[in-house]
Amino acid sequence: MTRAYTMKGKKRKNKEVSKKYDREEDEEEQIQPKKPAIQREEPTPEVTKTEENSELAGIPIAPSFEKNSEKPGVVFVLEKASLEVAKVGKTYQLLNSDDHANFLRKNNKNPGDYRPDICHQALLSILDSPLNKAGRLKEVYIRTEKGVLIEVKNYVRIPRTFKRFAGVMLELLQKLSISAAGKREKLLRTIKNPITLHLPPNSRKAGLSFSSDKLVNMKDYLSTIPSNQDLVFVVGAMAHGKVETDYTDDYIAVSGYPLSAAYCITRICNAIEAKWNIL
Amino acid sequence: MAKSSKRSVANGSSSSNNKNTKKKKMNKTGPEGVAMKAKAPKVNINPFESIWSRKKFDILGQKRKGETKRTGLARSTGIEKRKKTLLKEYEQSTKSSQFVDKRIGENDESIDDFGKAIMRSQRERQLNVKQSKKSKYHLSDGEDDDGFEGIDTLGGDDYEDDMLDEDDNDETYKRSDLGQRLNAHGMQSPGETGGADGGENRHKTKKEVMNEIIAKSKFYKAQKAKEKEEDGDLVDELDKNFTSLAHSEALLSLTEPNKRKALNALVNSSKSNEKSDKDNLSATPTMDKSVKEKPDEYDQLVRQMGFEMRARPSDRLKTPEEIAQEERERLEELEELRQKRMTAAEDSSEEDDEDSEKPSKQKQRSVSGDDLGDSFSVDEETITKKGLIDLILERKDEEDSSGEDDDGEDDDEEDSDDSEGSEDPDEGTGDDLDDNKKDTTLKDWEQSDDDDISVGSEDEDDDDEERAAEELDEIKGLNSRIHKKAKRNDSVESVKGDDDSSDAKKLVVGEKMSKVLEIPYIIEAPKTFEELCSLVDKRSNSDIILIINRIRKSNAITLAAENRKKVQVFYGVLLQYFAVLTNKKPLNVELVNMLVKPLVEISTEIPYFAAICARRRIETTRKQFVDSIKNAENSSWPSSKTLCLFRLWSMIFPCSDFRHPVMTPVVLLMCEYLMRCPITSCRDIAIGSFLCSMLLSVFKQSKKFCPEAIIFIQTLLLATTESKHISCEDSQLYHLMELKDLKPLVRINESVDKINALNFFKLIDMPEDSSFFTTDDFRASVLVTVVETLQGYINAYKDLSSFPEIFLPILKLLLEIAEQKNMPTALQDKVKDVAELIKLKADEHHALRRPLKMRKQKPVPIRLLNPKFEENYIKGVDYDPDHHRAELKKLNRLWKRERKGAARELRKDNYFLLEVKEKERSLQEKARAEKYGRAKAFLQEQEHAFKSGQLGKGKKRSR
Repeated sequence: MTRAYTMKGKKRKNKEVSKKYDREEDEEEQIQPKKPAIQREEPTPEVTKTEENSELAGIPIAPSFEKNSEKPGVVFVLEKASLEVAKVGKTYQLLNSDDHANFLRKNNKNPGDYRPDICHQALLSILDSPLNKAGRLKEVYIRTEKGVLIEVKNYVRIPRTFKRFAGVMLELLQKLSISAAGKREKLLRTIKNPITLHLPPNSRKAGLSFSSDKLVNMKDYLSTIPSNQDLVFVVGAMAHGKVETDYTDDYIAVSGYPLSAAYCITRICNAIEAKWNIL
Repeated sequence: MAKSSKRSVANGSSSSNNKNTKKKKMNKTGPEGVAMKAKAPKVNINPFESIWSRKKFDILGQKRKGETKRTGLARSTGIEKRKKTLLKEYEQSTKSSQFVDKRIGENDESIDDFGKAIMRSQRERQLNVKQSKKSKYHLSDGEDDDGFEGIDTLGGDDYEDDMLDEDDNDETYKRSDLGQRLNAHGMQSPGETGGADGGENRHKTKKEVMNEIIAKSKFYKAQKAKEKEEDGDLVDELDKNFTSLAHSEALLSLTEPNKRKALNALVNSSKSNEKSDKDNLSATPTMDKSVKEKPDEYDQLVRQMGFEMRARPSDRLKTPEEIAQEERERLEELEELRQKRMTAAEDSSEEDDEDSEKPSKQKQRSVSGDDLGDSFSVDEETITKKGLIDLILERKDEEDSSGEDDDGEDDDEEDSDDSEGSEDPDEGTGDDLDDNKKDTTLKDWEQSDDDDISVGSEDEDDDDEERAAEELDEIKGLNSRIHKKAKRNDSVESVKGDDDSSDAKKLVVGEKMSKVLEIPYIIEAPKTFEELCSLVDKRSNSDIILIINRIRKSNAITLAAENRKKVQVFYGVLLQYFAVLTNKKPLNVELVNMLVKPLVEISTEIPYFAAICARRRIETTRKQFVDSIKNAENSSWPSSKTLCLFRLWSMIFPCSDFRHPVMTPVVLLMCEYLMRCPITSCRDIAIGSFLCSMLLSVFKQSKKFCPEAIIFIQTLLLATTESKHISCEDSQLYHLMELKDLKPLVRINESVDKINALNFFKLIDMPEDSSFFTTDDFRASVLVTVVETLQGYINAYKDLSSFPEIFLPILKLLLEIAEQKNMPTALQDKVKDVAELIKLKADEHHALRRPLKMRKQKPVPIRLLNPKFEENYIKGVDYDPDHHRAELKKLNRLWKRERKGAARELRKDNYFLLEVKEKERSLQEKARAEKYGRAKAFLQEQEHAFKSGQLGKGKKRSR
């Protein structure tokens, strides 16, 4: 009996420590993106200009007046991502439709449903966008088909090849967190459900679905949202089906055609970049 | 009966509880009641025990052992276990002694009562038998005791074990015996040992042993036969393979045709053999023969083939490295040959001059503007890597020799001049050449040729073809000269005490004299200027060049190490000769042009020395210039010598280098001339424009901006204009230039019909006050050259971003000039073209310009971090690179787990004991309460009776 209490106490302590740690990280994050925010706002009209700039060493640098941390950001949620680990043969592997088709059929699963590459592409297109480079992407969350919620920091460099991505995800799903190569910072980690605990408060949460009746031009849609509100976009990272979540304010369709997750994200990012003047 | 009861229990467990209770009651009395007790409650009492723990994560393909378990069941089994162990101990803890139940089969729950009874009776009988045996043979007491004790202490099964032990002992004995035998006999077949053993072995009968032996021998025979058969099969297969190989093209291509027949024959015979083999297969003994015959034939062929020439391996495809290596070797060979030819050419040159010249010409590289003065060809590399010390040493030598020269220099030059004057009367008056020289005390040979007569050569690319006819003509004249020269040489050499060289020369000269009095083929490099002069004096241009070439060839650096020093000295002398030559008036342009080539070639051979020479000359020239500019009367513009040297150096050394030890000072000096020399006459203008064009040629490639030249051109153009308006920018110009008053020197007053190209050498030969300089013809042509030079500058500087600022003021001037009245139309067109060009380029630059803005940094993207992960991650494996730490961690984890487990067990034990104690205590309490209650009830009853007045009665009654 006493033991349970002590354990609880300890756990709480650990949590506090980790929170503190996270907070430090957050501060770091905030510090990091300050610089890019500074110059981002003034649009550079020509490429040649920047080349000339290197010559004009004596001319003073334009002062910075922007602070990124106060600006609203974007959060992406990838719903129903098919990241599942299974014991194939003697080793654990991230299931995908190419390599494990026979294994999945043996276990009465549809190989077409196991598509971690969609998640990979989507992540790459989010994290490679200028939106992220400018530091305006807050976080990415992935919710797997099995209900595991993964938090992806915006400064992760996701492996470019699928094989390596699968390695990362495999380790993440087993170890529950992935740290940075040189540091002890946690770049990817599994977090507690439900996702609403982690989303920024008072944010506009939009789900994307081809099946939605509300077909909007992304630009127009963004113009309706007040500029100081954080944005949350819920995109499905699955091969078939539809995103069904209870926390989204509305469902919108971005195109009249069914889009891939990666392209859909690209479209959203482009629209946001245009709105926020990120080049 | 037992079985049926069990079955019923099983049935009962599956059915309702009521039945079970009934059965239990029925069975309680039976022998299986105890066993039932253990099983039945487990199944039924606690419904939690039937609950399985659920899987937390469903992972496909994973089958883990402890994944699902019945926690309730585990708990109850734990309690049961404790009841058996801990509870017993607890109960015993207060007792001083212990009852041990040693009845047979009592501890074993698997045995039913009936079985126990059987076992007990068995044991009893055995004991009886043993006892009877003991009484029969009266064996020793100790053994008996042992036996009894063993039986007593051990369970029923132990008896059987004993029996088995006996057998085992027997067998081990046998084995050990066998082993000993084997060791003793060494290599003996097991059958034999078995046979030998058979006699001694008591346990096996003879018949058995013999049977064994027979069986073994049969087995061996069968094995042998089988092996033989297998061998035969293998041979057959080999034969088949061989025939197929023999028929295949691979072997046919390798073997010679005559052998092929034999091979074919062999193949055929082997085929027939095969057939016969097949026939013979039924009869095994004959097969051996055929097998034996066949190899003979085959062996013969094999032996023959052994003596045969081996097939040559075709050339392997070469790797690129090998090809490169071969190429290099070939080149080296060629190089060697070339070297041989080159050295041999020295000898052969005595026979044939023109042949000897060719290789040297091939060797000499064409010198481009980009060519580094100190760049090495492959041959020179080893030589030029002499190092600084050597260079300094050489320089010292050089200085020494020059110091030696100092004494006789004046005289010699006088001599040479005199002789020139006397012997070449058609060359005009050269008497006043050395006026300055005599006056000034000369410290350095380099200064010896300084004078104020300017001579220059513009075009130097005349070919130095030999003119045989001229040679022939002058051979006669040479005879006398050589006589003289020899004499003079003798005198000079004797003065200096340079015995060896003079001797050699004497010999050579003597030979020459004895022959047809020609130019000697092998000429020692002259050590002093006089020597060279004596060699070259009164020769035709082509002869001089020939002499120089021969000197170079006979003292080529590649021939001997010490030649290097000689060549260096010779280079200095030659340079001096060149300088003297360019100072003469009139200028021997042809000879100067011819001299350029050997000079350039030698300086590529000794780049360091050439650079040093050039630098010293530049230094002295600059000193003179500074001196001359102080007195304003004299024109301080460079002499023809200086101009020629500038031109020579710009050809020898690379012009496009950012910084060059020679070219940078040369350019600076030229610019200084342009800046500081006042323009007083039209001749100055000519020289200045020549300098400008030379600077242009220097800067054409590097595109370095030369403001001096541009400003000079601008001032010239300004001098052309009529109106002498000087704007503020122009006045700035005059700040830079030391021009006091610029007259419209170049202004064209009368119309000129046609423009002649100027010959600079002619111009420079002319005296300063020549009337030609005042003619409009001259002005027009000067203007043309200036405008052309300007065009060159425009083309060179068109990429500068400050182009409009540089050239726009000139544009204004040009437009003004173009509108002048007396301009020839050709010149006008040219001027207009250039003006147009400037306008075009300036407009281009203006269009490209952007307004000044604040500088903007490029946006810096957020710093990305790479995730750390393993390629093949396996859970539970520590990927710590520090093995020791990983191991420690693992042990720590294990220890922690064990500790936790132990703690858990202890805790559970405590709980259990606590529960037991609690139960006990509550029981005691209950008993106490009961007792208390009883007592209390009794007392109450009494009191009640007393109070109710029955006490008296009772008393009465009791009483």
